[in-house]
Amino acid sequence: MSIAISERTQGFVGEVSGIDITQPLTRAQAAELEAGMDRYAVLIYHDQHFTDDQQKAFSLNFGPLEQTAGGNVTKAADRRLDPDMADVSNLGADHKPLGRDDRRRLFNLGNQLWHSDSSFRAIPAKYSLLSGRIVVDAEGNTEFADMRAAYDALDDKTKAEIETLVCEHSLLYSRGTLGFSDLSDEEKRMFKPVRQRLVRTHPATGRKSLYLSSHIGTIIGWPMPEARAFIRDLTEHAVQPRFTYSHKWRQYDLVMWDNRSTMHRVRRFDETQVRDMRRTTVAGDTVTVEQLAA
Amino acid sequence: MHITPLHPTFVGEVSDLDIAVPLSSDQAATIEAGMDQYAVLVFRDQPLTDEQQCSYSRNFGELEATLIGQMSKPGERRLGPVEIGDISNLDPSGRLRARDNNRRMYALGNRLWHSDASFRATGAGYSLLSARVVPAYGGNTEFADMRAAYDALDEKTKTEVEDLTTEHSIAFSRGQLGFDNYGEGNADMIRPVHHRLVRTHPVTGRKSLYLSAHIGTIVGWPVPEARAFIRDLTEHATQPQFTHAHQWRVNDLVMWDNRTTMHRARRYRDLQDVRDLRRTSIKGTEPAAMAAE
Repeated sequence: MSIAISERTQGFVGEVSGIDITQPLTRAQAAELEAGMDRYAVLIYHDQHFTDDQQKAFSLNFGPLEQTAGGNVTKAADRRLDPDMADVSNLGADHKPLGRDDRRRLFNLGNQLWHSDSSFRAIPAKYSLLSGRIVVDAEGNTEFADMRAAYDALDDKTKAEIETLVCEHSLLYSRGTLGFSDLSDEEKRMFKPVRQRLVRTHPATGRKSLYLSSHIGTIIGWPMPEARAFIRDLTEHAVQPRFTYSHKWRQYDLVMWDNRSTMHRVRRFDETQVRDMRRTTVAGDTVTVEQLAA
Repeated sequence: MHITPLHPTFVGEVSDLDIAVPLSSDQAATIEAGMDQYAVLVFRDQPLTDEQQCSYSRNFGELEATLIGQMSKPGERRLGPVEIGDISNLDPSGRLRARDNNRRMYALGNRLWHSDASFRATGAGYSLLSARVVPAYGGNTEFADMRAAYDALDEKTKTEVEDLTTEHSIAFSRGQLGFDNYGEGNADMIRPVHHRLVRTHPVTGRKSLYLSAHIGTIVGWPVPEARAFIRDLTEHATQPQFTHAHQWRVNDLVMWDNRTTMHRARRYRDLQDVRDLRRTSIKGTEPAAMAAE
């Protein structure tokens, strides 16, 4: 059997068949999938019954894994999964849905805002791989936005205006948007803002994209309210239906996306139901802009 | 007088009427009936003085003072009476506001979808906006039909929102943009008020979503959950099929019903081009909503 990728959304989302990705890949297979990622930015695989170890092994084909530390407010002792696995479920360590007022739940609601994973890290993520172990029967879709197409569709005046802009990203900003400010001093230090270029160029394809994320709190050199109003306008542009795809989950889907050229968000669902999604993240290898000295 | 629809569900353009001169009670009643139907009415080529705008506005009720007027010291105001809302990018001396001007920062909140004065215990009825100077491009005002947006909700969501009460404050909308400098002695002005999320128009009986960037939470809900849900509803309500963009010409007057619409201003080159619009608002007459208590 050979790998086939069928186009789900033009030039953006591909559906992969003809390969069992729970088993070790040849170098040629990994290269073919990576080329598919460069072409599409989001790839979908159905019926992949992953264990955590298998998901990690598949992810390592595309680079070293990013550690989850620094990206959430769950204490090490309260973790349900090992530190290589981002727990994108609505469950506590006891495998039961978190209570309505649980601060981990309230923090995770930030995933309903359009974002790019780890844009709050100085070296942000390359790929994310999300495995649907237990899915809800309605709602809870994950939506993706093509930030290359969104960039291409900007008028030339706006392209020139944003070309060299640098934004500040932090979990403090995305969570602040939802009024989540219940953070310890240690968490605030952990979520110290980093800088990212607003326009980035993909290292393999050379295509430009808008590097937007709800983690953005301001543009360097701009008054904050003006920066935020402008970022909202750009985000509204970038998430128009013509640039987006909505993924309805089936159990054992694996969806992988390139954080360098997409945004995503989860939609609301009935949180009394169990939704057990597990993410591995392939680390990026470079900053998008010089950081300030600590 | 004629009204021509400009959108499938709302917005009409009124022709063959001069609103600078006193109206007969029949004419005022016809306009009010048009507002009940269209929610937004556009009048072209109506050069108005501030006094004429106030006189015309009083056909529809009592004028409301603007919040920023009430919060400002006399020397900080460009225009005279606090009933004239200064929707411009000019400082008190008539020059363009500097980039970091505090009033400019405050006014940027108008780029978020909102209903005027929803931060008051009784939100505004109509707002009337007159264009005296318009920029070369940009600076449209967009409107959203909150009746059509309500009607399009699925039954499950209608049931869920029916009895919800929201908390509104100017501090919530400005906080979204990172602004919190209201000046001393204005703490009372930013205290939250409660409104129903679903309201019923007193004349037409139609239900609408009473959304606004001024909403900070839903009573009884955790704040992040409330805000995420309000964002989803706002995204639903401002889809292209529910919205209309008004491109300003000098001497346009646009009036809208804050009980059934949201609106926002779009970006323009406000550090270079003058945009001088003046707003009057009519006090709401019934509680937009019963408070939760």
